[in-house]
Amino acid sequence: MRNLFFLLPFKTGVLLGCILICRLSPVNAQPATGVVRGLISDNTGPLPGATVQIVGTQTGGVADANGRYRLTVAPGTYTLAATFVGYARKEVKSVNVSAATERVVDIQLGAGEGNQLQEVTVSYGRQRRREITGSVATLDASLLQDMPVQQFAQQLQGKIAGVSVQQSSGQPGRGVDFRIRGAASFYSDNQPLFVVDGLPLTGSINNINPNEIESFSVLKDASATALYGSRAANGVVLITTKHAKAGDAKIEFNASYGVQKLPDNRAPNVMNAQQYATFMNERYQDIRRYENPSAVTPAEYENPAQYGAGTNWYKLLTRAAPIQNYDLTVQSATEKSSSTALFGYQEQQGVLINTGTRLFSGRLNKDLSIVGGRVKLGFGLAPSYRIDHNNRLATDGVGGLFERIFEASPLKAPLNADGSYNRDTYSPGMVAYINPLAQFNLTNDDYKTTRILGNAFLNYDVVKGLQLKLNAGIDKGNEIRHYYQSGVVSSTVNNPNGTSSATDNGSYTAEGYLDYTLDFRTDHHLNLLAGYSAQKFTQESNTLSGLGFPNDDITYLTAATSVTGSSNYTAYSLLSTLVRLNYSFKERYLLQGAFRRDGSSRFGTNRQYGNFPSLSAGWIVSDEPFMKRFRQINFLKLRTSYGITGNNFFGNYVAQSTTSNYYYNFNNVITQGTTIGNLGNPNLRWERSRQFDLGFELTLLNSRLNLTYDYYFKNTDGLIQSRPLPTSSGFTSILDNVGALAFWGHEITLNTVNVSRPDFRWNSSFNVSFDRNRIKALVDPGYIRRNNTVTSDYFRNQVGHQLGEFYGFVFEGLYRDAADLDASAKYQATATAPNGLSDIGTIKVKDINGDGVIDDVNDRTFIGKPTPTFTGGFSNNLTYKKFDLSISTAFSVGGQLLNAAKWAYQTNLDGSRVPLAAAADRWRSLDSPGSGVYPRTKTGTTGLGRSVNSQWLENASYFTVKNIALGYTFGLSDRSALKGVRLYASVQQALVLTGYSGMNPEINFAGQDATLGLKVDENAYPIPRTFAVGLSATFK
Amino acid sequence: MKKTIVYTLVISLVTSACQQRFLDLAPKAAYTDNTYFQTDAQFKQAVTAAYAPLLDLMNNDFYVSEMRSDNTFYQSALANRGTALVFRENISDFKDGATNSYTAAEWQYLYQIISRANIVIARLKTASGLSAASVNSYDGQSKFLRAFAYFKLVRLFGGVPLFVEPVKDANGAFKPRATVEQVYQQIITDATDAIQELNAPAKFPQTGEATKGSATVLLADVLVTLQRWTEAETLLATLPAMGYGLQADYASAFLPANKNGKESLFEVQYLDGTTTGTTPNPLSFNFLPRSTNTTLLTGVAINNSGAGGVNTPTPDLISAYEPTDKRLDASIGITEGTYNASNLFTFQAVKSVVGYTTPPAGRVAVPYIKKYLHAPLTALTGSADNFPIYRYAEALLLLAEAQNEQGKSPLAALNAVRNRAGLLNAQAADQATMRQVILHERRVELAFENKRWYDLVRSGTAITTLNAFGEKIKAQANYLPADGRIVTPFRLLFPIPAAEVGLNPLLTQNPGY
Repeated sequence: MRNLFFLLPFKTGVLLGCILICRLSPVNAQPATGVVRGLISDNTGPLPGATVQIVGTQTGGVADANGRYRLTVAPGTYTLAATFVGYARKEVKSVNVSAATERVVDIQLGAGEGNQLQEVTVSYGRQRRREITGSVATLDASLLQDMPVQQFAQQLQGKIAGVSVQQSSGQPGRGVDFRIRGAASFYSDNQPLFVVDGLPLTGSINNINPNEIESFSVLKDASATALYGSRAANGVVLITTKHAKAGDAKIEFNASYGVQKLPDNRAPNVMNAQQYATFMNERYQDIRRYENPSAVTPAEYENPAQYGAGTNWYKLLTRAAPIQNYDLTVQSATEKSSSTALFGYQEQQGVLINTGTRLFSGRLNKDLSIVGGRVKLGFGLAPSYRIDHNNRLATDGVGGLFERIFEASPLKAPLNADGSYNRDTYSPGMVAYINPLAQFNLTNDDYKTTRILGNAFLNYDVVKGLQLKLNAGIDKGNEIRHYYQSGVVSSTVNNPNGTSSATDNGSYTAEGYLDYTLDFRTDHHLNLLAGYSAQKFTQESNTLSGLGFPNDDITYLTAATSVTGSSNYTAYSLLSTLVRLNYSFKERYLLQGAFRRDGSSRFGTNRQYGNFPSLSAGWIVSDEPFMKRFRQINFLKLRTSYGITGNNFFGNYVAQSTTSNYYYNFNNVITQGTTIGNLGNPNLRWERSRQFDLGFELTLLNSRLNLTYDYYFKNTDGLIQSRPLPTSSGFTSILDNVGALAFWGHEITLNTVNVSRPDFRWNSSFNVSFDRNRIKALVDPGYIRRNNTVTSDYFRNQVGHQLGEFYGFVFEGLYRDAADLDASAKYQATATAPNGLSDIGTIKVKDINGDGVIDDVNDRTFIGKPTPTFTGGFSNNLTYKKFDLSISTAFSVGGQLLNAAKWAYQTNLDGSRVPLAAAADRWRSLDSPGSGVYPRTKTGTTGLGRSVNSQWLENASYFTVKNIALGYTFGLSDRSALKGVRLYASVQQALVLTGYSGMNPEINFAGQDATLGLKVDENAYPIPRTFAVGLSATFK
Repeated sequence: MKKTIVYTLVISLVTSACQQRFLDLAPKAAYTDNTYFQTDAQFKQAVTAAYAPLLDLMNNDFYVSEMRSDNTFYQSALANRGTALVFRENISDFKDGATNSYTAAEWQYLYQIISRANIVIARLKTASGLSAASVNSYDGQSKFLRAFAYFKLVRLFGGVPLFVEPVKDANGAFKPRATVEQVYQQIITDATDAIQELNAPAKFPQTGEATKGSATVLLADVLVTLQRWTEAETLLATLPAMGYGLQADYASAFLPANKNGKESLFEVQYLDGTTTGTTPNPLSFNFLPRSTNTTLLTGVAINNSGAGGVNTPTPDLISAYEPTDKRLDASIGITEGTYNASNLFTFQAVKSVVGYTTPPAGRVAVPYIKKYLHAPLTALTGSADNFPIYRYAEALLLLAEAQNEQGKSPLAALNAVRNRAGLLNAQAADQATMRQVILHERRVELAFENKRWYDLVRSGTAITTLNAFGEKIKAQANYLPADGRIVTPFRLLFPIPAAEVGLNPLLTQNPGY
């Protein structure tokens, strides 16, 4: 634990003096014979130095190094008040003190409300909140436990300013992305670095059970993250797992069960059988009328009235799915040792049929203090096992399973009369897609992932003030995949295929550092940290594919008649030295400098080392004498920082030219060829971010109102991109440092205690951030487009523009009549075909270059921006007597969304897919022009409808009630082993208010990777609403 | 104190040495450019890698070389207007633009061959420990491949960027266009070197590697294209001594059993099967109407609904064969069946094209390329049919052309080809008539071998022939766009792929695009 006397030398004398005075000078004339004693703590442990006062008397005292106090007072009934800098004052009423026995009153001071002396986890250590000079946001995980979710990322949505967590897909156990301060990189990862109990993770975060987590620290600015050097540019999330506190001996059991369901009102309203048959019937009428008088309507469409609703594929393929979580936590701790054991089981079935995930997890944390506290050591071990069933299939995006729902005809039944699957569920004119129900049910894709996280530490007090710290960690993972697709649904019929693959990966981290603390001349406090860190990651993998299965009975490769495969190995290493110096004067003026030097195996041989310095300063204004006048201000700190961090999240050997194998045949024998396949770049370096941060923290009104503000500006240069090369070079790309990006923004967090009465308490937390970005430089030609195919070239990253700005044609309605067609530019018009692909009733777009012809190259432009004006969250926690209620919300205002799913897929008027019911209202003739939104079905003219135009853009603003949880805590007698029982009911994704017409306004077909496109809806797995009930019980 | 300094020095030396080892990680599952190109076997593999893009190339080459001519067109796919289908049609319809992905693929694979050849050629210059025979063989094969690729590029796109050294970094990847003359100069130099360095086939069937014969016919083709007739004739006259000759009968020249036989000067090598590295030939079933099941023709249930329906023989070509020409039946077949509203074909019967008139009521008849289809296929992924690049029959026709253009009689060479096809000798005629006879003979002899477009262009007849043909075919196939098949002079060159022009400011687009 902490030692305040040690850390607060200048106060020590004063406080000790106070204790002496209190103890030695009873002011009451009556003999003091009664005793009140107890422990003062906050949610993280004892609070040495906290003051206890008996209200209305002069009797008081200060908690000792273990947080314990002891007061003597005349028998009677008193009110006790505990105070501590940075905490709200707390009173305990009706304390009866008798002469006979000592009265024990433990007081816990509230956490979170500006408790500036609380220690929080920062990079390479812990620090009192008031001394932090960087931008660090912390979150107590106990406030998040009512959410029926399986990924801790989901709990953090809307909770922290500047931290965007978005659920871009509802795939069970997947699809949540982090982005801190809009971090973006063209090639490298955008995810922050995750550090669990000091160990930087090298594997996925999906296997971490949220219940293992005690708190989060999110490091946002360069001074907070700089010690993580070349991995820090995207920010760092420090996760502290649960450790038992001295005095604990308890068992906690948590259970929740819920049902997830897709909100019906957001499902796309697709034509039913009768509507589709009518649409196709009319389509053939129009072909006869305008194009080919002899065209024959297929028999299926001749009499649409014969059909009813037909098959509702959406209903067939989706379901209400259960989700459940069970956790058992066993904790015990004494002064010298502490242990925590956790076991969890989570299960989530998907709302798309035949998908789901299960996670078994455990964690054991053990800490020990020996040699009179001079040596502290401990370890943590967290094994987990996850089974993913069909939740990594390409359900999202183009060709994904979710899109398939709209590619089956409502006229067709999913099953044949004999109960077997009808493979061909397309109607005449539709593309020959395969029965999606059969695809969902006859494809098996299981991943079994075993993961072990382990860490150990040893802290040794060499001499007073000098501590040696050693840390070691491992992150070991193993994953095996079993994939099989039945021949009923294989792209070539009766050609079942199977895959078996396995990956074994592991990393170790070893760190040693010295921590030296020195106080001199009373007011000067110095802390120096210097150390060395090494990390290495290796991965071996193999994959085998089999063909020629005789039937679906045996789905393992033993049944395949031909098997091919390969195996691979990859590794990276990181070697670093780090130094940090903290200096404070009068605890009021704070200065921190940090420096890390990273060597990385990933960088080019010419650029193997990088230096990452940072500098920050803080001023606790409220401690200045002149601030005494402003009595409402409890605390005010100004801080600023500047630093350089890096991003090295890219492939392992990409800086080197490596060979690949290519095959050819000579003498009728397969012959392996090998040559340079990847063009290396020896000058490749990490991306460099230079970040400036200016902020303040303000506490007002007896610590009931807390305001944090940050402004940041971040310049990232040396952006790595898989830079396209002219293919005439023989290569398609080279990894290169190609450009620069600027990010800037404002972040505001406001925490308030609205009501604080013994039986009614109401806290609110509001945060909002304004994040902006701009592309400052790029190599020729100054932009990067998504791809060369106009129909899916959704956006362009171009110098002077935001990331991911939408690019396309400008919609100008439909050609109204012959005069309008005559007077307007036409798509691909030529001398011989003056109308090109345009006609009355087809889509009209703006002739941007004014040459009278619409073409793909010159008539597209920037049409919209994905960046929201501001985003944030608003949470409220209320307790009334034994009830508690929490409501968390998240919002995003401004910015646009490109609804590609709707226009490119769901309103394809060629009849090749089943369109939205709304498309019935399309242009058919001059007398029946429809709403002007959907064009005519003329063959060949619908092509332009598949290219992005401004019609596809929608307002992306939303307000989501992420979670509402209502709980009730039962009062139980002290003698019962069961100390507390709480029941709660919770709704996740309770309400989404948005004008967006698609399924999910948070959607993004490429996660949060800005360089692959932002805010593009390409048929992602929808996010369900979850209703859950839960129970937590504590035994002591 | 001194001791401390010594210890510190020792420790820092040891740790810095460790550091370097700790950070210098080389891939274990691949070589790097520093560790490769050491042994003879590695060079042989690098040459093999330079051949590999030929396989990808053939999947695209027929779009730009055959479907743009009067030999083939495509089947209707109006139900699906996805770009994958539309781009194919655009080339055939002369409506293609710079964004066409098939043109871009052709460009990319040709340059991939060049890049891999450049790597071998450059590395050989500094290689040690290789025998002179190896160096000649590897350098010669690489130069043949490079010349072959540039010859296609210069005819399709005009003067193109000329890469003759391996690209080492980003800057080296951006080059402006060279002139047509510069490209041809490089082709002639490379092909001449290859003739010098390579040996004639040691045996038949050959290995499938490029030989002196391959390089000879390539250079002769280049010289004929450049109208350097005398040199071409001299070169072509060297081939018989290398052992080449015609197969006894036309159809057997394409049998998988006769791969790399005495008629073969160079062909792209395919193998069927599913083991790693196998590259079966998918073209035979891609040249059939789009269907979910091609069993009737292929013998196995191949679904070609994605890639099928292309390279359909035109009525114009079918009628170009002389009545007793055995090559018609060997090259083209007719399949009867029905199309559904999704433009998918159900195969119902296979008929001979010879004397075929009209299908029975309720069925449509679709011609298909039979030359490369040898059912039953063994796998769903393709066949073992090789794809011919140069056959001895073409060498004879090139010789006939070179002779005719010099005022010599081309009849010996020409009639060797005709007689094999079961046709009577051609009669002597004036030079201009004979020029047409030889061009026609090339059309039917080399049908579907990706020669027709180049023949039309170099003979100067492309615009008139194809415009006349366009009117005819649009009347025969009502799904063809009315504004298609209109050939203007700029269309004799393809557009440089838009992605290349967009990326590389040094590149200029061909006029008209």
